[in-house]
Amino acid sequence: MCVGYVVGMRFESTELTGTELLLQKEVRDFLAAELPRGAFVPGLGMGAARDPEFSRKLARRGWVGMALPRRFGGGDRSAVERFVVVEELLRWGAPVGHHWVADRQSGPLINRFGTEAQKERFLPQICAGELSFSIGMSEPDSGSDLASVKTRATRVEGGWLLNGTKVWTSGAHVNDWFIVLARTSDESDRHQGLSQLLVDLRSSGLRVNPIPFLDGTAHFNEVVLTEVFVPDELVLGEVGMGWAQNTSELAYERGGPDRWLSTYLVLEHFLRERAGCDADGRVAMLLGEATAQWWALRRLSLSVARKMDRGEAPAAESALVKEMGTRFEQDVLRGVQRLVDLEPSLESPSPFEQLLARAMLTAPSFTIRGGTNEILRSVAARGLRP
Amino acid sequence: MTDPLLIETAERVFSDTCTHDAIEAAEREGWAPDIWARVAEVGLPWISLEGGSLVDALAVLRVAGRHAAPIPLAETGVLAGWLLAASGLAAGEGPLTVVPGRPDDTLELVGDRLSGVAHRVPWGRAVEQVVALIEVAGAWFVAAVPRTGFAVERRDNLAGEPRDTVTFDGSAQVAPAAQGVDASALRYRGALTRVMLMAGALEQMSRLTVGYTNERVQFGRPVGRFQAVQQHLVQGAQEAALVGTAADGAARAAGGGPARFEIAAAKLLANRAAHTATRAAHQAHGAMGMTREYALHHLSRRLWAWRSEYGDDLFWSSTLGAAVARAGPEQLYPIITSGSAVLEL
Repeated sequence: MCVGYVVGMRFESTELTGTELLLQKEVRDFLAAELPRGAFVPGLGMGAARDPEFSRKLARRGWVGMALPRRFGGGDRSAVERFVVVEELLRWGAPVGHHWVADRQSGPLINRFGTEAQKERFLPQICAGELSFSIGMSEPDSGSDLASVKTRATRVEGGWLLNGTKVWTSGAHVNDWFIVLARTSDESDRHQGLSQLLVDLRSSGLRVNPIPFLDGTAHFNEVVLTEVFVPDELVLGEVGMGWAQNTSELAYERGGPDRWLSTYLVLEHFLRERAGCDADGRVAMLLGEATAQWWALRRLSLSVARKMDRGEAPAAESALVKEMGTRFEQDVLRGVQRLVDLEPSLESPSPFEQLLARAMLTAPSFTIRGGTNEILRSVAARGLRP
Repeated sequence: MTDPLLIETAERVFSDTCTHDAIEAAEREGWAPDIWARVAEVGLPWISLEGGSLVDALAVLRVAGRHAAPIPLAETGVLAGWLLAASGLAAGEGPLTVVPGRPDDTLELVGDRLSGVAHRVPWGRAVEQVVALIEVAGAWFVAAVPRTGFAVERRDNLAGEPRDTVTFDGSAQVAPAAQGVDASALRYRGALTRVMLMAGALEQMSRLTVGYTNERVQFGRPVGRFQAVQQHLVQGAQEAALVGTAADGAARAAGGGPARFEIAAAKLLANRAAHTATRAAHQAHGAMGMTREYALHHLSRRLWAWRSEYGDDLFWSSTLGAAVARAGPEQLYPIITSGSAVLEL
């Protein structure tokens, strides 16, 4: 047995091995010592703060770029081992912002499609927790329909000239690089003729304009590219194959613990501060339901990571899990809200109230970022065809 | 790890016997002797008692759930057989059932004399023995009564499966229950059987829905190509996957211990899916799913019925939640990753 079988998809159940459990304990001990509760302001999952110093510390433990090859500074560890580390960081609210995108998707993408020279140039610095990346996919007129990107790379002597505008580029004002999806040629099939380019966020001709987020934070940006020169050696993978590469990049971005832990700390802190009085048992009911769902979602998410370790590309399974996980993140928030009578405030001295307020202001983005739930359902449904 | 050959055998036997007409007939007549005979012939009801493991028997239950098998498979081996074996009584041949233990039961055991009424007894009308677990002055006893020793009033659950009212007033075979066997243990084990059946039914319901919406053409294309319908397909598949992995986790844990966290969590998720997944499947099927002629109701009605057996949502969410609350906030994440290894229920 141990084959959860849904038509067209497989979620082989899996458990952590002894070595993986040991790693889990190491990370827990590290976090308890490094970031004791009460001594830092915890964040909400992958939306947590950026702290380059913390990223470097993690890297020294071998926990950044851990699934990348050892010869480039990585740990030759598995996707499951990365999963074990990442879930602990996220549920602790640790400041993962600096290395997050580089560790989750840019590093693996460069490792998969990059040249030897690109790997030597980028991977060791990613694994050291130094280099930070942003994502250069969305544009003003291209969100879910990414194949319609208008950013264009024009062939010039020794490289390409980039023109266009990227939006919703988190961290572009502070990060080092981003991987831009751009059109390099016009083809009858619009999925052809796209390419991915590694672009220095401090290039000349590149302007970063902040797009204030609705909660007042400033991590969102518009990046305007005007005649930005990208040398040939910074084209990632094959010219014209950007669509396929981009699709595989999205698989790294979906189905992981970051897609079901964003509101975990809201409930944990609720429990810490408010659960004392549960006269009518409603707190217990919420807690029972949420714990059961976290347990099972985590099992599905883990089985997706095992698939990746077997060299599979579980695009439909990842989409199915992310769609369900992100809705659950919002349900947890709603569940907690139903049990409290308070006016949420970002300035409250109570960590619970702060987290609740922050979660309320950001929750709508959970089911949008990394592919809207509508798109994810289409991707998952394709996997269900008999 | 269960032998794939066992699953193949179960799959073959159930798909041969549990045809649409056979399931309809079982419901009409209240018993399916032919299905039982074929399943018994290959020994499937007694796997956990004879050579196989509990995990094997649970895997077979999941297959039975896929096929809506209208027989007391969970009752015979995993529940009644377990109670008998653990107290040194003989299971004998033929189908068995167990008294699930409802609040309105009035069973009383004096010496070897069992009297009173038990409710919602699965297939009471068709079994060789009814097995009950009864507390007498703080100690638990297993009592087994052959079919000549009880009277049956026929009752059905929402799926048309027999859930009879059984009246006892006579002698029983009685033995002290084994260590750790009490009403609570029976409830967890009963819930585990329903989790396996429900996981199977949810998988099959997802399969059926994907298949139907791929064939049914409206507006010139299969309705499954419409995004609004795809939403239902995805939701059904999500619930099947979630309960499927929960069932795997619960079965695996039960192979090595009481597995109370895993069973509680899995039953709670299965109960929730009985609502959300059936709603999605029925919506995707339209009126066809509401007919007796089409197979969806064999699955959806069973899910609705099993939802309330051995603990409904209220029971499991408050039981599980109260234990998690007692463990405290520091333990919340360790419970999510390690379940019953760190949480007692």
